[in-house]
Amino acid sequence: MSLDILNHEPLRFLISFALILFLVLNLAAILTLAERKVSAYIQLRYGPNRVGPRGLLQPAADIFKLFTKENVSPNRADRWIFLAAPIAMFIPAAAVWLVIPFAPEAVVADLNIAIVFFIAITSIGALGVIMAGYGSRSNFSLLGALRGAAQMISYEVPLILSLLGVILLAGSLSLVDIVNAQSGGFWHWYFLPQFPMFVVFYIAGLAEARRVPFDLPEGESEISGGFMVEYSGMTWGLIQASEFASMGLISALHVTLFLGGWQPPVEFLDLGNFDWIWFGLKTALIMFTFQWIRWTVPRLRMDQLMDFGWKILVPICLVWLLVTAGVMLII
Amino acid sequence: MIREERGAGEQTVEERASGRLAGTAIRDEFGLETLDMNMGPQHPAMHGLLRLILQLDGETVVRCDPVMGYLHRSKEKISENRMYPAVVPITDRIDYMNNIAMEYGYCMAVEDLLEAEIPPRADAIRALLNELGRIMSHIPSIGFLLLELGAFTPILYAFRERERIQDMFEAITGARMMFHYIRIGGVKSDLPEGMPERMWEYVESLEERLNPDFIDLIEGNEIFVARTRNVGKITQEKAVEMGLTGPPLRCTGVSYDVRRDYTYGWYKNLDFNVITDEAGDVEASYRVRIGEVRESIRMIKQILEALPEGEVMADLGRRIRPPEGDGFGRAESARGEYAVHVVSDGSDTPYRVHYRTPCTVNMQLLQEIVPGHYLPDIMPIMGLIDPVSGAWDK
Repeated sequence: MSLDILNHEPLRFLISFALILFLVLNLAAILTLAERKVSAYIQLRYGPNRVGPRGLLQPAADIFKLFTKENVSPNRADRWIFLAAPIAMFIPAAAVWLVIPFAPEAVVADLNIAIVFFIAITSIGALGVIMAGYGSRSNFSLLGALRGAAQMISYEVPLILSLLGVILLAGSLSLVDIVNAQSGGFWHWYFLPQFPMFVVFYIAGLAEARRVPFDLPEGESEISGGFMVEYSGMTWGLIQASEFASMGLISALHVTLFLGGWQPPVEFLDLGNFDWIWFGLKTALIMFTFQWIRWTVPRLRMDQLMDFGWKILVPICLVWLLVTAGVMLII
Repeated sequence: MIREERGAGEQTVEERASGRLAGTAIRDEFGLETLDMNMGPQHPAMHGLLRLILQLDGETVVRCDPVMGYLHRSKEKISENRMYPAVVPITDRIDYMNNIAMEYGYCMAVEDLLEAEIPPRADAIRALLNELGRIMSHIPSIGFLLLELGAFTPILYAFRERERIQDMFEAITGARMMFHYIRIGGVKSDLPEGMPERMWEYVESLEERLNPDFIDLIEGNEIFVARTRNVGKITQEKAVEMGLTGPPLRCTGVSYDVRRDYTYGWYKNLDFNVITDEAGDVEASYRVRIGEVRESIRMIKQILEALPEGEVMADLGRRIRPPEGDGFGRAESARGEYAVHVVSDGSDTPYRVHYRTPCTVNMQLLQEIVPGHYLPDIMPIMGLIDPVSGAWDK
């Protein structure tokens, strides 16, 4: 088969989409294993080591188990909302991967408004949480959903504001352009001039991916699972997959926006066609820090979470945005 | 129907507890309603089987009714039907995190009835194990506090320590949890060969690990401080009025410890401080617990330095049949004052045994201080009280 077929735009898009879906699902599977291994390492245990060599096949076993389990839904649940919620959570988390540039040519859709696309699509994820909590008809889920709604909407503000500095510097909304603007060694990467934004994006990203210390919608010790308390089997698996996918997504965006995407840290480490290795390494590093935090710190309370978002993160963003704009005006 | 006739506030705790949950009550001029929520008895953070009937206004708890009794095993009644020495294993199962203090209190009560003399070595070993038991209970309770705040790792570090102490207990008593080691008139057997050295080595290593593994990981954490400071605040007057004992009382600044104020056994020979704190919140109770672990280590070292030689069991005859009358024993368990009252009618079995467990009394705090806090604050407050299901239900 000749590669001409790839020039056929709709077909190329379909194949790429299938590849991305494959990648995201695998990423979620690998991340479950990584999560357990990292937590085991932090907690001085071994972690899963029975299925396959060094426990590497554990995710396969997990997924098989989830597929064989019955999908129980509460009697009084709003059935359609209940079933649609995991899908509404997973699709946005997977869809944004379409605009992430893995390497110079390896991007499914090089949208010129990729950042706007990201902002628009991730907001739908919050809807999934609300649907899951509301559809379950349980007090615990309802509280979880309300927390989730409040949290994800509040933290979207600093998340978006922290992107603006990068957009100003790069002068483009396209992720490929932003990465290209950071070429030429790590001192050109935006995490240096935009350091406060870098930190804010990291924190808001944690909240957006519902990771500890911002896992209030889940809050397993007080509301014992929150919005997903009633889910079981593969619907639960899909929620988990979407959480891991969005965690990977936030890491990938973090790398793209602030850590130079596929760019090597110094010129002579350029890997040519294998630039995606740099992208993968940096993303893995960010994901590792996410897990590190997950297994070290306790959870915030709802009021503290709101205070932190609105009184600390948003002002930092606004001030630094002003500074960036001012400096750009002068230079 | 009760639901229609009366509002939520008019129902008694018993009515609410019997499953007839109150209807929602309208709270303010906007017509917002409160939410009734049933937390437990099967809930990951309820320290066993506790049911809380909560009335929530958003995330704020308006009312909190704890319902106990899901782990009631009629300990007091069973004790009446067993011969005196056979009650000891029953007491083991009251507070399953700190069994040794439970045995100690009961044996003291019966010894009071018999007016028995305990050999000094037995007294020293009892105090030694009691302090080890306190460490074994306090460190996991700190771990549980963090677990309920959402940090998963400290509990595993805590259980590593508990595991090592349990290994030592296994070597001494033959069991890991339900020891049945303290007997009426002494202890079951002498310490095994090399145990004092092993214990010394362990407490030394624990003293070294306490800082990096617990204090550094927990105390400096901003989120931990934010979640625990000024949460579950109790005043001294309130604490005394409610009859709290143990760390929840001492964290308000009241210096009361049975080991010092009603000294018993080997404790009169020991030099130790009663740890108190002024703040009276969850963070203070954590500091009190850490301080008590340090004091326990000091005490263990003192006991090991001057471990008397001799018998470990007083000769009380084969059959224990105390004279008519009553005996009273009180011990400081890890959770507070544990007291046992034994009434004898001159027969083989006690006429009546009453266990005053600290958890039952300390649990009153929930109803008093939870209202007004946020829902997630219930968990650190539970960590402040640190109740054990078996001990509050008996």
